[in-house]
Amino acid sequence: MRVVIAEDSLLLREGLVALLREHDVDVVAQAEDGEGLLRIVGGHKPDLAIVDVRLPPTFTDEGIRAAVEARRRRPEMGVLILSQYVEPVYTAELLAGGEGGVGYLLKERVGDIPAFLDAIRRVADGGTALDREVVATLVGERRAGPESPIDSLSPREREVLSLMAEGRTNTAIAEQLVVTPGAVEKHVSSIFSKLNLSAAGDDHRRVLAVLAFLRATDGG
Amino acid sequence: MSAASSTAGEAGFGERIADLARQAGRELAYLSIGGLTAIVAFCVWVTAVSVTLSLIVFIIGLPLYLLSVIAFRWTAELDRRNAALLRGRALRATYRDHRGESFLARLSSTTRDLQTWKDLTWLVVHSVLGFAFAAIAVSAVASVLAAFVMPLWFWSIPAGVDWGPWSIDTLPLALLATVLSIPLAALTVLINRWMVRAELWLAEQLLEGDEVAPAGAAAGPGGSPKIPLSSDGVRRMIPEGEFSLAVHAAISAMVGLLCTAVWAAAGGGYYWPAWVWLALIIPLSLHFGLREAVRIAPERRALAIQVVVSLVVTGITVAVWALAGFGAFWPIWTILALVILFVVVLLARLVWRQLYGDERERELTERVETLTETRRGALDVQAAELRRIERDLHDGAQARLVALSMQLGRAEEGLADRPEIAALVRQARAEATAANAELRDLARGIAPPVLADRGLAAAVEALGTRAPVPVKVDASQLARRPAPVVESAAYFVVAESLTNVAKHAPGASAAVVLRERGDTLEVTVADDGPGGADATAGSGLDGLRRRVAALDGELRIVSPALGGTRIEVRLPCGS
Repeated sequence: MRVVIAEDSLLLREGLVALLREHDVDVVAQAEDGEGLLRIVGGHKPDLAIVDVRLPPTFTDEGIRAAVEARRRRPEMGVLILSQYVEPVYTAELLAGGEGGVGYLLKERVGDIPAFLDAIRRVADGGTALDREVVATLVGERRAGPESPIDSLSPREREVLSLMAEGRTNTAIAEQLVVTPGAVEKHVSSIFSKLNLSAAGDDHRRVLAVLAFLRATDGG
Repeated sequence: MSAASSTAGEAGFGERIADLARQAGRELAYLSIGGLTAIVAFCVWVTAVSVTLSLIVFIIGLPLYLLSVIAFRWTAELDRRNAALLRGRALRATYRDHRGESFLARLSSTTRDLQTWKDLTWLVVHSVLGFAFAAIAVSAVASVLAAFVMPLWFWSIPAGVDWGPWSIDTLPLALLATVLSIPLAALTVLINRWMVRAELWLAEQLLEGDEVAPAGAAAGPGGSPKIPLSSDGVRRMIPEGEFSLAVHAAISAMVGLLCTAVWAAAGGGYYWPAWVWLALIIPLSLHFGLREAVRIAPERRALAIQVVVSLVVTGITVAVWALAGFGAFWPIWTILALVILFVVVLLARLVWRQLYGDERERELTERVETLTETRRGALDVQAAELRRIERDLHDGAQARLVALSMQLGRAEEGLADRPEIAALVRQARAEATAANAELRDLARGIAPPVLADRGLAAAVEALGTRAPVPVKVDASQLARRPAPVVESAAYFVVAESLTNVAKHAPGASAAVVLRERGDTLEVTVADDGPGGADATAGSGLDGLRRRVAALDGELRIVSPALGGTRIEVRLPCGS
């Protein structure tokens, strides 16, 4: 897997590179700003770009804009956004294209190396990896309006829904919840029928369907 | 059913009539007693003033002066007590305490006691007015009663009772008088009431001390202790202006009445004291008018003085015209001249101000401009400073914590064969993650990154998404981005309001509207919770109010005890 990194902090960039190389991920190039990212994406044909949201020169949301632009130029490439904070508006922009290969994680999740590597692979393979903070703003009792169908879900089903929204596969969900894959499948089909969603084929479509549903019932 | 209700109605009506009658009786009693006290007052003040004034050239007049003052006070006290008949309680006034003062000090402090001079003014006025009112009231009531019982006695006067142009000499006419006496009674009650009101109003002005402190209050600093003479309460020192005006009025009234007495004693005829009254009133009205005029703000004072003088001059000319036997209304020319003068001055001032501006006004305007600019500057600096802190946190402490998490993660992997130490490392990583989460919340609390990055609409959308209650955000009418400091104020208004909704109205839903209207940013946060929001000092709403006020904005809270809370903020966007 060929990976490029856009991160202005030397400390984090080097930490990330060392971590990835230890796990046989090929970091082919690094950039410090948005323009640099577009340059190396053009030159190195990577499978995945890991991008910090806040980049020079404006130190605002350059990373998001650069990532969206990079994706436009190279649609088969996955984009994983790393940030110190989660903003729902960025999630919406990243997912707006409707294609897979998108991730949005808090930087501190990198410390959980197995989960981080799993997310990288998922995104590079066209899947989705959303931070549980992003999902938490969408799922859960607190978001439910007075007559939201989410109310009809059992607590377990709600957990499964959250993990689905994060982009996990059934297998990963089963592992996380310590249940059999068959049990997860049963929960998933129950959720889809309760939320009136048509069962989708691949994992990524499933995520999009769930997210679209959650955003539609967001009340906002 | 209907009988019962009509009985009740009659009882209510009867009660009302009884109340009216009782009140009318009290008023008549007040006026009658007032007539008696008027006689007492007349005797007291005429005797005291004439004796004291005539003997004042000899030293003997001075103790008489003090004695007179005591007499004035006690006589006035009669009328204070009389007022209790209608007001429920007697009027209260307090005098300076003269105990322990030397004779000379007492002379001076008595002279400076405003209430005493007010008492004297009252005695003079009341001796005429009170007597007249009593005479009118008593004779009116007597006439009405006489008319009411006319059929019982008209026959005793053979030529018929003389009733104005009519002569009542038959029973039908006498009965007609009885009938007519009822509306006349009503009229009498009304007239009595007007007289009572006039007299009570005057009594309250002159006999009631205007500042009654609780009994037992300590003596003023450095002054002699003042205790009440007639009632509880402590009197303050008299303001100089009021004192001189009261003395002026009292002396003028005395001189005028003395002249009238002399005129009456000389057998009447042409009422020459009118000219004396005019001469007395001119300085008094100037005194009063100018005293009021100088209280007006400096920039309008000259104009006010001109108005006062014009009014006094107008009054004099009209009075002279009237005293001289009316005739052609020549004062019109004076009035016309004064009006023209006033208009000319007004226009000149206006033109002058247009051309050169008022010096003071210009200074103030400049000062306000400077203050507005510097205050805005201070707020901008503060906003920039908060953003810098947020950035420092982001690039410093937060980045280091992330790096720490990464290194701990790698260490954990290398410790696969030492599970107990790996568990410790994992715990350390969890701590680092928690610390980072706290820093993230802190940064969002002082300068939310999304506000700087994407502006108010996106930031408020994010707030709505995060809020624990359903929130509808409408920012469709927000075309451009306001200044950062305005944006941040609006953002925190919404944040705090939504926090309040979640805290005080957990079951409610909220709607946020951001709108640009002209140069104003309007923010409305409404919820359908229970209402009754607390905006007292120290509350979060009070903090918001101050934040908004610092930008010359307004914050309005509509929160009835039942039915939702609505917070409306208007922030001028400036340029």
